[in-house]
Amino acid sequence: MQSLPGDDKRCFPSTASLERGAHAGQPRVEDLLLPTNGLEPAEGFSLARLRASGHALAGPGTRYGQCGFGGSCAPRATAGLPGEKNLGSWAGKARRAGTARPAEPHGRAPGSARRERRRSPALLPPPSPRIPRSRRAPARFPPEPLRVGCRAAQPALSWDGPSAARGGIGGAPVPERAHSGAGAGGPPPQGMVGPHHVGAAAVRRRRAAHVLRAVMAALLSSAGRLRALRPRLPALLPAPLLPLRRPPATRPPGPDRNITNQIRFFTLAHQEEGSVKEEPVSEIRTRPTYQFDWALNRVDNSVRKTGRIPKSLLLKIFQEISKAGSPGSNQTLLLLRSCGALLPEVSSPERTELAHMIWDKMKELGAVYDTSHYNALLKVYLQNEHKFSPTEFLARMEEANVQPNRVTYQRLIAAYCNEGDIEGASKILGFMKNKDLPITEAVFSSLVKGHARAGDMKSAENILSVMRMAGVEPGADTYLSLLNVYAEKGDADSIKKTLEEVEKTEGYLMDRILMQVIFSLAKAGYPQYIEDIKQRIKFERELIPDAMNLCLTLITHGFEDISFSILKSFSHLSRDNMDQGSFFLQHCVNRDMPVKKLKQFCSELKEAKMHSAPLPFILRCALEANKSALAIDVMKMMKAEGLPLRPHYSWPLLVRHQKEKNLKGVFEVLKLMHELGVELDAETYTDYVFKNFADSETARAQLKKNGCLFEGVGLRVAEIRCEAANGRLDNVLSILSSASTPPVDCRLFRNSLILGFKSSDDVHLWSKITELLYKDERYCLTPPGPTEAVGYFLYHLIDSMSDSEVQAKEERLRQYFHQLKEMNIVIPTSHYSGICRLLDSSQVPELIKDARLLCHKKSLSTDDIPESAKSDVSALEKKLEKRKAENQPITDVLKQLIHALCEEENMQKALEVKAKYEPDMVVGGYAALINLCCRHDNVEEAMNLKEKVFPKNSPVALDTGKYIALVEVLEKHGRLEDAINILTEMKEKDVPISGRTVASLSRILNAAAMRGEVETVNRLHETIVNLGLAESPVLHSPLITVHLEKDDMPAALEALINCYKKYGKILQLHNIYCRLVEKGDADLLQKVSDFISREYGDMMALYDLFFAFLQTGKYKEARKVIETPGLRAHSGRLQWFAKKCISNNQMETLEHLVELTQNLFECDRDEMYYYLLQLCENNDDWGKAEAVWTKIQEENIVPREKTLTLLADIFEKNGQVVPFEVPKVRHEDSRSLSATIEEEGKIRMLCRKNKAKEAYDIFMKTKGKDEFQYNFYDTLIRALLAQNCLQEAIEVKRIAETHIKGFTLNSAASSLLIISQVRRDYLKDALAVLKGMLDSGMLPSRPAVTALVQALAEKGDLKNLQALKNMLEDITKSIGLSASLMANAIALAHMKTNDLDAAVEYLEPLLISGAQNPDQAVRSISYLLRKVSEEGLEPALEKFGVMAERLASQFGIYRPVTDLFLQYVSADRVDDARSLIKRCGAIAQEKRTLGSFMSRAATKPGQAKVIERLLELIPEHLDPEVAYRYLLRCYELDGDVASAKAVYEKTKAKNIQLHELSLKSLATFLKKVGEPVPFTEPPETFKFYVEKWRNRRLEAS
Amino acid sequence: MAAAGAARAFGRRSRQLFDIFVAEVPWTVSSKELKEYFSQFGSVQRCQLPFDRDTGFHRRYCWIKFSTPEDVQNVLKKDSHILEGSKLTLKQQTRRRRSQRRNPRE
Repeated sequence: MQSLPGDDKRCFPSTASLERGAHAGQPRVEDLLLPTNGLEPAEGFSLARLRASGHALAGPGTRYGQCGFGGSCAPRATAGLPGEKNLGSWAGKARRAGTARPAEPHGRAPGSARRERRRSPALLPPPSPRIPRSRRAPARFPPEPLRVGCRAAQPALSWDGPSAARGGIGGAPVPERAHSGAGAGGPPPQGMVGPHHVGAAAVRRRRAAHVLRAVMAALLSSAGRLRALRPRLPALLPAPLLPLRRPPATRPPGPDRNITNQIRFFTLAHQEEGSVKEEPVSEIRTRPTYQFDWALNRVDNSVRKTGRIPKSLLLKIFQEISKAGSPGSNQTLLLLRSCGALLPEVSSPERTELAHMIWDKMKELGAVYDTSHYNALLKVYLQNEHKFSPTEFLARMEEANVQPNRVTYQRLIAAYCNEGDIEGASKILGFMKNKDLPITEAVFSSLVKGHARAGDMKSAENILSVMRMAGVEPGADTYLSLLNVYAEKGDADSIKKTLEEVEKTEGYLMDRILMQVIFSLAKAGYPQYIEDIKQRIKFERELIPDAMNLCLTLITHGFEDISFSILKSFSHLSRDNMDQGSFFLQHCVNRDMPVKKLKQFCSELKEAKMHSAPLPFILRCALEANKSALAIDVMKMMKAEGLPLRPHYSWPLLVRHQKEKNLKGVFEVLKLMHELGVELDAETYTDYVFKNFADSETARAQLKKNGCLFEGVGLRVAEIRCEAANGRLDNVLSILSSASTPPVDCRLFRNSLILGFKSSDDVHLWSKITELLYKDERYCLTPPGPTEAVGYFLYHLIDSMSDSEVQAKEERLRQYFHQLKEMNIVIPTSHYSGICRLLDSSQVPELIKDARLLCHKKSLSTDDIPESAKSDVSALEKKLEKRKAENQPITDVLKQLIHALCEEENMQKALEVKAKYEPDMVVGGYAALINLCCRHDNVEEAMNLKEKVFPKNSPVALDTGKYIALVEVLEKHGRLEDAINILTEMKEKDVPISGRTVASLSRILNAAAMRGEVETVNRLHETIVNLGLAESPVLHSPLITVHLEKDDMPAALEALINCYKKYGKILQLHNIYCRLVEKGDADLLQKVSDFISREYGDMMALYDLFFAFLQTGKYKEARKVIETPGLRAHSGRLQWFAKKCISNNQMETLEHLVELTQNLFECDRDEMYYYLLQLCENNDDWGKAEAVWTKIQEENIVPREKTLTLLADIFEKNGQVVPFEVPKVRHEDSRSLSATIEEEGKIRMLCRKNKAKEAYDIFMKTKGKDEFQYNFYDTLIRALLAQNCLQEAIEVKRIAETHIKGFTLNSAASSLLIISQVRRDYLKDALAVLKGMLDSGMLPSRPAVTALVQALAEKGDLKNLQALKNMLEDITKSIGLSASLMANAIALAHMKTNDLDAAVEYLEPLLISGAQNPDQAVRSISYLLRKVSEEGLEPALEKFGVMAERLASQFGIYRPVTDLFLQYVSADRVDDARSLIKRCGAIAQEKRTLGSFMSRAATKPGQAKVIERLLELIPEHLDPEVAYRYLLRCYELDGDVASAKAVYEKTKAKNIQLHELSLKSLATFLKKVGEPVPFTEPPETFKFYVEKWRNRRLEAS
Repeated sequence: MAAAGAARAFGRRSRQLFDIFVAEVPWTVSSKELKEYFSQFGSVQRCQLPFDRDTGFHRRYCWIKFSTPEDVQNVLKKDSHILEGSKLTLKQQTRRRRSQRRNPRE
């Protein structure tokens, strides 16, 4: 900063001198650009000075304020100048000199310096080559350089409004500080040469080494070790600093990554403006913001991946935004800016048209255009080479009262220059000069073009020296401009000369530039020179997206051959199974390339081995693009080449004809496919041909008439299906018996046949057809034969019928079975028993007897005896004695007794009983005993029993839990070998491994690790992994933990590396780092850092080091690490650490994290502060939150809404006034600093203390009601509503409306108002309030809507419900309203109006479609059932029950029947519940519903019984851990200490491992009531376990 | 057969369960080709490849059901499955396996 001229104003030209300049006759461009006559350059008008003054104007932090859209990169234009040359030559020398680099103490390669200075901060390349490709931001090829990056965009803002320049969201540039010395340099003073002034890059570089050395040195105890470290230090530097000969990112910023930033910037700019203009109420902004994010992400992704936007995507976003109405300013901007070079597949005029269409449409929808929009439109014009009149454009802006800015002028100059209109350009330059606007490289490069297009090549070439004289070094932009004009003239020699020159002086050439030159040559009609340029391009992977866009653009412009030759340049990059050039072919198809040409491309691609199947690919493109003729041609070509043609290739064609009702087309396709030798299958006919006709007969006749009746299996099957599905069984029979019918497997038409059977009552036909299937060999082609096939058919027939259908058809089925019997048809036993079960569940047990006729064998085993109710031990003992005495079998009772004893945890007794009745023991009893012994640590007995009953070679296996229990107890007792044997046995017996098993295994390993038993851990782990029992990172972790426990760091590190090598997982890294830092073990630290940088890149290693320093409180060192030049924000890693701090409640660490990342490049500051606020919220620390708020302002960040909301929440929750909602309407002066403020404070305080009524009284007495602010009224009204003081609230609202113009309640208060009104039964008023809210764009809260809906339903007010439904249609999703609610309510309303049938009729189809369509998910009927049940409307409940069961049996929709079951459970109708679950076992599978039912139950007191019932009914279907957690929770809520303890004991007895969350909660509860805690309380915070629980739930789902 | 195996243990629902979900099915193949391909690993009971009736193209994913769990394991043992030049993405449908492998109650 020292070199910043302190007295800029003195150097400025006076207005007079400017005017003189402007009026001095006909100004030549150069006159405008060069120092004005009569003024010495040192003091005169100089661009550099101007720039310097720009700094002064913009203030600190806006040093890049010079370049605008299309402008050059800031450091080039401003900063790099003095140092650059020197650095360049220095670097060159250094390279030649090889190792001799005296000035480089840290060994950084010189090449890096080159790269550094080529880049603006925004252009910093990906920090590490190891960062996944998708995260990189490759530069793109647009026909015009797309320089719309964030860094480029920001200056425009900083120029206009310095306050936003630092733009926290986009990230403050880290190297800023480093640049500052040179950045403020102004014109290059002669003295600034030499090693001390080598420029920003070198400064930074030196600093980097210094920093790292310092960091490491801090860790080192002796200087001797420092030397050992030094050679590796540079490795810790991030990659941007490492040498790369051809840095791909020397290009200007691609549109990709920067779009995000830019758009963020736009968001920011928008908000910034908002604070000046009218700030909309925050609620209204929620929706557009959401949509904007959606659109933004789509576009961002597309651009990131491909460098372009598909037109369809753009149109879709456009439609979405249009549909949503009232487009936001930044949405419009997003759309507009996408209409240029980002659409290479669309021709330029079309793009401009699109832009205009969007412009007009958005305007119509109320978009307000500001300068940024006009600038974006200009850019689109330029990119599309659209001809327009700049003066008119300016006039239009003026008309709209929008001020042009520097960017506008620059682009207008470019527009003039495109037309070769130098005079026009000069005019604008004059404007700029008058306004003291800086002239950047962009202007110069436009002028190059302008002169050339005006035919004055000499002046064009001369611009470069003019630039230099003005202190602007020509950069990529300028050279590109020059090269392009040569290309336009076809001047290959000059191109060559320029390229060589650039290469010589600049030492680099950008492939992107060369590609643009190729495009210019193509466009200008000089394809012959292209090859030479192409030779210079290195076609590497990084270039693919750019090259793709070049190819597309070339095709769009009709240069497909050139495009193809570019494409082929990538053939050397082909990878296995990766087709190249699909994009090319697709675009060719879309541009209607002649078939011949396409064919040529296809065969060449194939020959070059670039594409494995080009013809099928273009066939798909043709079909997709609805180009039938081409599709047909391609199919013919495919046939000629011997490629397979398949029936479904014709489907897209048929679909199209079907849609257009074009029968002729259908026939033609059929003929064509026949010609091509494709035999169409049944699906083709069924789904795509017959659909065009009334029935199969008509179809057949029509096909015949039109000469496309091709007999075959497909046609026949389709006919059978068609006839069967329409219930014309007689026709089916005649087709099946016809001799002309070819052999067809009956499975092909089974489903249709079942449909047919169900819709027909003709038992005779049923039997006849079944007989044919059984006896005619044609219909049973595959093994295992007709018995199975018919058995299967019958099973499915009955399975597909609902219970009521079966009941209704009982008699017919009986006849059917009898007739089948007479035909000697038999089915396999297994099918028979399946049928019996179905019949039984349909409650037609009588039919079972008849079905038996069909079964092979008569003998059938009795079904499993249902489990008898559990008896207590003594009763069982007695029973056992009695049986024994009577000499009856005792096995069953013995087993029950053993189980009962196990449940009582009475090991002693259980073992005694076992010994006594040894001969009668069964396997199950032993298994329970083994488990019991394990629980009681009786390892000897457990193993004895196990060896005896379940020896290794026995086929009988224990269940997983018991094996695990054995392993655990063995390991605990040091019997490692035995434990390993058990594990091996588990594998051999293929015991199922679940997530819980893995968790148990990891627990065992961890336990061993905590004891520091290396051998045990290793062996067990090895066994588990080698056996393939489980594969989960948690299992590897103990391998490292064990060493950490033993404090053996080298071993821990080795384990870490081994883990990575073997399993590809890095585990416990942070812990290792922390420990090493704590110990100050620099050697190992270096080692682990080396390892991480090698495997994951330097950036990762730096972050790990940073986090370790933070964690261990070494903030100084942490700062040094994070300030490593070139390091950029990695949001994922930052988030990881921040979350860790939050869950561990480490405020200090988190604060340091936030503070230290302040200058980190691309760091999302808002996000960082959000983390901080999250922790504040957890701790209810509003004081800290307030400090954060101040910090945010200090750092000049525009926080996102999310952050503001959180902040406001924290304030409100802690009874504080929210500082930033203070309206701007009123100013201090109009405010009498009188009693009012005091009153206000009092009222606010009373509101906080829930004394709304008192607050109200004071308010009513207060005189100066004008003085109160907007949000004060909201607060008071909300408080009143919360206290159910509706009248008072309405009164306050009325007063507010009279005192504040345009007062409307905010959405929270309005929602409360609705709730209060509903409570008072003022439904009409509530409805009106809701309508008002929706009209003004506010979102009501969900409870408010729910309350209103339910109240209307209760009243049976169908009319208003319907109206409400329509009103809510659009916002259902946004407020998270369940679709089921409305459906339930309407059904309830029907019921209330005594129309039960209407209710069912309304609801049932919704539930059916809801199951298929997740968008309109009407699934649950629990509300309805609850209401019905509560009101004791038994017939209704029954009716809905029947419906639910019908849905379950017929449609496989289980949710309603589950709701019914749960309703029974809630209403203590255990018998009903039990019989229901018997009928409908699938209920038990609705785990989610059951889970959420329990969790809901556990939020209210008095619900323990409900969960107990559930546990009684379906114990094995509930996750015990979950069920008991909620049960415990219920008892805790009830304050029922005894029951809670009993439940805990029970879980212990049952060996159910409770989640730490349950234990934590139970412990807290017990402590609160002063009871001892019978277990170790989990150490972490509650929040921690909640998070853990939630994560696990998430993983599970 | 289904009626004997999973169905008994699991009720009507089981028949809707498939063993493997296959994604990235190339557009050129139909369920016939898929069946043929997967038959090399065992007996394919069902193959469901949903077509979009609106476009006539399939949705590029399908479900496969095999006769026995061993067949499924056979398929999954193979590292990568390439059909007509496209690498298929396979995902085992877990529900069925669990139900099938449930131990007989002791």
